[in-house]
This record gives sequence, structure tokens and C-alpha cells, in this order.
Amino acid sequence: MSETTLTKPRPMTWRKYLDKAFPYLLILPVIIYYIIFWLRPVFSMVIQSFSSLEGEFTLNNYYMVLTDAAFGPALRNTAIIVAFSVSVEFIFALALALLINRKWRGSGIFLFLAMIPMAIPAVAVGAMWITGFTAHGWINSLLYYLGIIELNEKIYWLAASQIAIMAIVILIDAWQVIPSVMIILLAGLQNIPVETEEAGYVFGGSYVYVLRKITIPLLKPTITTAIILRLISAIQIWLIIVMLLGFSRMPVLVERIVYYYEEVGNLYVSAQMAAGYTIIVSFIVSLAAMVYLFVSGAFKSDDEEARL
Amino acid sequence: MNRRTTKFLSKSGRMTIFYIFIVGILFVILTPVFFLVSLSFLSTREAYQYPLPILPELVTKFKLEGGEKGYLVSVYDRLEGEYQTVQDTDDLNKLSVYFKSQLSVYMSEEEIAERIAEFEQTGEPVYFTGRKNLIHNYNTFFKITRDAGPAFLRSIQIALMTIAISLTIGGMAGYSFARYIFRGRNALKFSVLFVRMFPGVAIAIPMVIILVNLGFYDKPFGLALVYSVGAIALTIWITASIFLGIPVSLEEAAQVFGASKGRAFMRITLPLALPGLAAAAMYAFLGAWTETVSAIILTQFNPTFSVVVYQSLLGSVGQVNLAAAGGIVFALPAVFFTFLIRRYIRQMWGGITV
Repeated sequence: MSETTLTKPRPMTWRKYLDKAFPYLLILPVIIYYIIFWLRPVFSMVIQSFSSLEGEFTLNNYYMVLTDAAFGPALRNTAIIVAFSVSVEFIFALALALLINRKWRGSGIFLFLAMIPMAIPAVAVGAMWITGFTAHGWINSLLYYLGIIELNEKIYWLAASQIAIMAIVILIDAWQVIPSVMIILLAGLQNIPVETEEAGYVFGGSYVYVLRKITIPLLKPTITTAIILRLISAIQIWLIIVMLLGFSRMPVLVERIVYYYEEVGNLYVSAQMAAGYTIIVSFIVSLAAMVYLFVSGAFKSDDEEARL
Repeated sequence: MNRRTTKFLSKSGRMTIFYIFIVGILFVILTPVFFLVSLSFLSTREAYQYPLPILPELVTKFKLEGGEKGYLVSVYDRLEGEYQTVQDTDDLNKLSVYFKSQLSVYMSEEEIAERIAEFEQTGEPVYFTGRKNLIHNYNTFFKITRDAGPAFLRSIQIALMTIAISLTIGGMAGYSFARYIFRGRNALKFSVLFVRMFPGVAIAIPMVIILVNLGFYDKPFGLALVYSVGAIALTIWITASIFLGIPVSLEEAAQVFGASKGRAFMRITLPLALPGLAAAAMYAFLGAWTETVSAIILTQFNPTFSVVVYQSLLGSVGQVNLAAAGGIVFALPAVFFTFLIRRYIRQMWGGITV
């Protein structure tokens, strides 16, 4: 560009501005789109959560939500599911990813098959497990065929205690989540040059030592990605629970939003309650994500931008 | 035993345990899938048996003899190992309908009449078989479920519109992120993530009013607009990593040879990015195809296919084998596209770090 500006200084100035503005022009449509179709609905939801039915400012909606009988259980249930999802399930996924990355005979086929759960849409996953956990479903049938239960001792899974049902929900969650987290981690593992790990072994490191001192630190950005995505979607779990148990049986936070909006949408506080729950859920999700990103150090700005 | 044999044995022992472990994992992963597929092929009678048959019967064995009200029809039950009476009637139409709806056996009244004639001739019980129509549940699902066919087409339409919106808008931004370093770039990258933090339901509820005002409520385009919010964010991530992988020097070389910036992009970068863009498109397709929650809220008379399947599962009227068939039809495109882009899934996650 510099030569052209030398020969023809004046007519080219607007071009220079255009060049400078070009990256912004390219992202302008996204920004406009998000203002209209994301920021605006979010904004109106926030407004609604602070307005009474008459449209005046109030904190009463939040008071109603926080004193809602189902709020405590919903918060607790969500917390338990999230805790399992980002800890136990994550460790399983990491173990599987490390396993597949060692490339044994059949690992390709194993990976192929292990990807199936992440490809199946939530509603179809629901279909799969509803037909399983009913009393005359395939799980009891399978247990019968395997000789574990007698023909007349069907297990009534969905009538079980709250803790057992929680375990079932976590199990279904694990079934779908572990493969998808594994894929992310595996992708990260395959980006680590083999030489770095080999170097660790050359210097006499054991497998665990190399894992702790070389593999995991190199994998850290991928782990951050995987956990943050998991965190965001685990807090928002609800569809599988409602499909399995219906509303209100095992309340979780997002289920409450849908409950007030869809199930009892005609109550005169419904919209207010839904709005209150929505903002609280969004706040929790954002807070959890931010805290995690902050703790994991992902907020350190890019070097390139620092140079500007 | 010398040391080498011990070592070999311990190694093969370890390998055996390892593969048993692997097979165990696969069993857990695949059993639910297997049973859903199997269930979608079971006849209604089989689907409500306990224990549930592991595999559908391909051929149903019948026994026909004289009954009190007409003819006694029995069906061979694999689990009990004996014939069980299912009908006692002289109404051929009733029999034919029963065969079709409960046993998935398509047998016309004439064919049944032939068997009856055979029975009348000899007076002995007549044994015959009927071939089961395996896709009966699939046919029936589309026939009896309100709107399943149109909903299927509508879902495809929505997915295609989502692809078009997200690929143009998101692709441009992705290119910008990959090629230029500008102020606010990092903050924007995080805002893409931030968008995902607001629950989909939370967007969908206020979107009802916005879409009604725009005239797109309960219309495919309205849903495509909503789905694009998530799809654009993802498209930016994917396309940015793709464009990063294409050396900018190629574009510059074209410009040296006199091509304009736009031409260089169209002729050099775009063709190279095409496979990756296809992957981004399939991601958008998957997102739009599988989404259920917003679709429940934002449709009224024109549901998407996911909503239809969801309702067929919740409704007490729905039969499990039909719902299973619907679930399979719903899952198949998603599985197909996921496997088509599985190389990119790994590439993408490898290239992206928060």
C-alpha cells in the first residue's frame, strides 16, 4: 500500500480508511444480528424480571422465585448434576481419551462407535431411556435375560427414591456426555507432539509422571474448553429429566422456567416467575463460567492484541 | 517356564482384561441404541410383551382352528414356546386389521379366506405363516402422527435457512478474526462464548413477541432466525480456524499477479476453505435439526419434526414402538451428518482453545 500512497496520495486516503475499517465491516453483520436477536430478547427478559404486572419496577419477582418451594430443591438438584458432570464424568472422559490415544488394535473402531451417543439428538436419547426405565422396558428385560432378576420381580425404576432417580439421571447424562467430552480431549491430545512425551520417558519418567508433568499441562487449554462447555450445558439440563419424570418430580432450574412458561402458563404470576428464574439461571451460568475462566487463567489477553 | 513365556502370558493376560474392559464399555454405549432400533421394528403385540423380545420376529406363525364365535386364531409366542389365542371371530375384516395393526402382518381378507377354506376342507387346525412388514411402524408413525411428514420437510427447510444465515454472517466474521488483528478482537471472541451462556429457553420466550411483531412467529424463517444465534457463534469459531489454516501468502500471491482482493478471495481462499465451510454448514444443520425447546415455544400449528417426536413420546396415546420409529427417523440424519464431519469435529476442537 505504501507505494501507491506515495504516487497518488489524495484519492487513496479513503481507501486507507476502508482498509482499516474492513475487519470491522466484516464483523458488523454479526454485531447487528446479535443486537437484534440476542441482546434485545435478553434485555427485555431482564426488564420483565424487574417489572410487576402493571409494568412498575419491583424486586418482588425475585422474592417470589427465591421463596418458591421448588427453588431450593431445583438449585440443589442442578448443583449435584453439575458437580458430577464436570468431575466424575470428566475424569472418565479423560481416561477414555488417554486410552484411545495410545492407539491399540481396534481403537479406530472403538472411537467410531463411542461417537454414536453424541450424535443422537436429546429427544431420541429421551426415547431410548424412557422405553428402558419403564417397568416393562428393555432394562428390566435385559436384566431378566442376563439372569439377574426373576420374571416377576420387575424393578420400578421411576418409582424409586429421589436419590436413586438422581443416580439414573446422572447415568443418562454420563452416557451422552462422556463421549462428547472425550472427543474434545482426544483432539487436544492428538495435537501434542509425540516427541514431548517421548522426551519425558527418555529421562526416565513413569507413565503417571509424564502424564502429570507433560501431558496434562500441555492439554490444559483443551481441558479448559471442555470443562467450560460442560459447565454451561450441565447447568441448563432439563429436557431429559422432564421426558423421563415429567414436570416437578425432580425440579431443576431450567425445568422451572419451562414449567412456569409452558405447563402453568395461565397463572397470573407465570410470566414473572419464568422471567425471574431465567435471569437467575443466566446469572449462575455466567458467574460459573467467568469464575472458571478466571481461575484457569484463560482471560490473559492475546499477545497480538497487547501489541496494538 | 522361562522369563519370556511368563512375560508373554502376563502380557496376553493384560491384553485380555483390557479388551474385556473395552467390550464392556461398548456394551454400555451401544445397548440403549440397539434396543431403540430393535423396538422400532417390533410389532405392537411384541412391544408390549414382557420381557421385551431382543430381536423382532421376521415371520409370524399362525394357527387357525374352529372357535366358539367363528374361527380361533392363535399366534406362536417365542417366549412361551406355544400358540396363544388372539382372536375368536368370523369377521375377516377384523382379522385383517388385527394382523396389520397388532402384528405388522399385511394379509388381505382373500388370503385369510383361503386359509379358512383350507380349514373347512380338512377340519384340522391349519398352520400358516405371515411375513412381517418391518417398516410398518415407520409407515404408521408418519400416517397417524399429526403432521409428521410436513414437519419433517419443515425441519429441513429451517435447517437450510439456518445454514444460509449463519454461513454468510458467521463466515465473514470468522474470516475477519482469522486474517486481521484489531482492537477488541479478544473481547469479541469471548462474547461469542458469552452468547451460549444464556439458556435457549430464555431467548425463546421474549422472541415470541419479537417474532410476532416481525410476522415470523410459527413460521420456519422465524425459527431459523433464532437458531442462527447459536449457529453463527459456532460458525465463527469453525471458519476462523479454517481460514487460519490457509496461508495468507496464497491470497497475496494472487494479488501480486493482478487479482483484486475480492477476486483473490473468491478464486484462492474460498475453494480451499470449502470442505471446512461444509463442516460448519453441517454443524448448523445439526443444531437446527435437533433443537427442541425453542421449537416448542416458538411454534403453534407448524411444529418441527423434533417437536412431533417429543410429543409422540410424551402423549399417553402414543405407542412405544411408533415413538421409537419416530425417534430413529429423527436421529438418523443427525448421526449421518455427525459421522460425515467427524474429522472436522476433532480438527476443530484441536484448533480451538478458550
